[in-house]
Amino acid sequence: MIELLLEPFGYQYMVRAIWVSALVGGVCAFLSCFLMLKGWSLMGDALAHAIVPGVALAYLLKVPYAAGAFFSGLLAALAMALVRLRTQLREDAVIGVVFTTFFAVGLLIVSINPTSVNVQSIVLGNILGIADEDVVQVAGIAIVSLAVLLLRWRDLMLVFFDENQARAVGLSPTRLKILFFVLLSACTVAALQTVGAVLVIAMVITPGATAYLLCDRFGRLIAIAVALGVVTSAAGAYASYFLDGSTGGLIVVFQTLLFLAAFVFAPKHGRLAAARAARSVSETRP
Amino acid sequence: MTALEAWLVAPLAHEFMQRGLLAALLVGVVCAVLSCFLILKGWSLMGDAVSHAVLPGIVLAQILGLPLAAGAFVAGLSCSLAIGYLKEHSRVKEDTVMGIVFSGLFALGLVMFVKVESDQHLLHILFGNMLGVSWSDLAETAVIAVPTIAIMLALRRDFLLVAFDAAHARAIGLPVRWLNAGLLMLLALTIVAALKAVGIILVVAMLIAPGAIGFLTTRRFDAMLAVAVVVATVSSVIGTILSYHLDGATGPCIVVVQAVFFLAALALNLRRAARRATAV
Repeated sequence: MIELLLEPFGYQYMVRAIWVSALVGGVCAFLSCFLMLKGWSLMGDALAHAIVPGVALAYLLKVPYAAGAFFSGLLAALAMALVRLRTQLREDAVIGVVFTTFFAVGLLIVSINPTSVNVQSIVLGNILGIADEDVVQVAGIAIVSLAVLLLRWRDLMLVFFDENQARAVGLSPTRLKILFFVLLSACTVAALQTVGAVLVIAMVITPGATAYLLCDRFGRLIAIAVALGVVTSAAGAYASYFLDGSTGGLIVVFQTLLFLAAFVFAPKHGRLAAARAARSVSETRP
Repeated sequence: MTALEAWLVAPLAHEFMQRGLLAALLVGVVCAVLSCFLILKGWSLMGDAVSHAVLPGIVLAQILGLPLAAGAFVAGLSCSLAIGYLKEHSRVKEDTVMGIVFSGLFALGLVMFVKVESDQHLLHILFGNMLGVSWSDLAETAVIAVPTIAIMLALRRDFLLVAFDAAHARAIGLPVRWLNAGLLMLLALTIVAALKAVGIILVVAMLIAPGAIGFLTTRRFDAMLAVAVVVATVSSVIGTILSYHLDGATGPCIVVVQAVFFLAALALNLRRAARRATAV
């Protein structure tokens, strides 16, 4: 039994998949705390789809995939900002039009040149079969983003909660927001390799939302979210050995199950706690 | 025959191209009609959520040997119910709840799919297989799409009033809750209809772009509907034929053609705004 459980660690590709997933999961979870509090959840989804044409072109032209992804993410962000400023379309429609268009362009590029890259690994991720040079890119992105976040999370928090206060103490909200979006696109690029374009959204919102149900202080929120992100991602990669694939699916299923558990059982903000509170109120007031 | 005519007609010599084109037209029109309501209601991303959430329903229906459309419909509806419930009863914001629910359901579908010995190709569920639709697939699509279009057009005034002013709609005695639920059901049905041809990921694009184009070009709802339907029809034809000549995937081609129309509508809209500014 124990031998069977330890079996995945005997394969180099499994060990690598587990630590890369954990690293990416942790950084994405860090970002998720900011994203879900600000109501920008769908930006994560939009970015993940918008980088697909860049990735497809990068593989086609044999340049680092992160560079292509970053470029097309930037282009999509600019397009969204432009359309939103100049028309009366609602924000969600603008985001929707831009990201679905970028995604379709990406799929079209892949379908015309099917040999350069596999559609399935872009859309659904392929961490078990990740190439060496991609590991270097993913790990590099994740470590640099983590370092920046650890250095600047207090500033970001202040900007996100109270822009005037932030300005008063000498921070530049615009610059910090740009920094945040650069970090977010970098992490979407990294997460694309682990869970694929469609499921990146879960990596950048679910751990933060789960932690939000469990505590009220921002520092602790980040700690819990990162722990959840690391554990679920590592566990998902590990479990995919026994299921023969679908690493991304498993990671996100674990994250969603933890969210549901927190939704029911959280000590203060869960459903059971709410039911208990309602009962004690009705008992004291007969 | 001129070169253009030849370019347009040559692909249609094949029967699979004719079937593909019919499927593209049906799906394009039903999505276009629905997209007008979604744009005005601010539900654009609901289409995104419901279409992804359909996956576990399809896989489960396959395991149990039920019709795929039934599984997809139930899963799509449960997704919107779950979003409503979690939003009511927790302090997490609506967009976040939406993201969590649909990504969770999609992931569940993926994991279940690994365990299915199936003749269905996963990529065909995700992206459709427009040129591979059979006559019976086409009939199934029509049976769902045509009544959906009819209901939406028949009730368009009611849906419109609810979208613009729910309080007023309630005051004059419209069943607002039922109309909202009905719209969600029509959304789920549309996604089911689009399943075979464009798949559950690309349908999102067809559920947003035509309505957005209509919104940018006109101020009247009936005109908006007409613009959306015309754009979707023309895009379906050009996109399908283009994909034959490019040897590329059909669904993405249609979406890219729609995006070109969107850019044109955007340019028109900006020019009008500029002219209005100078006139004042």
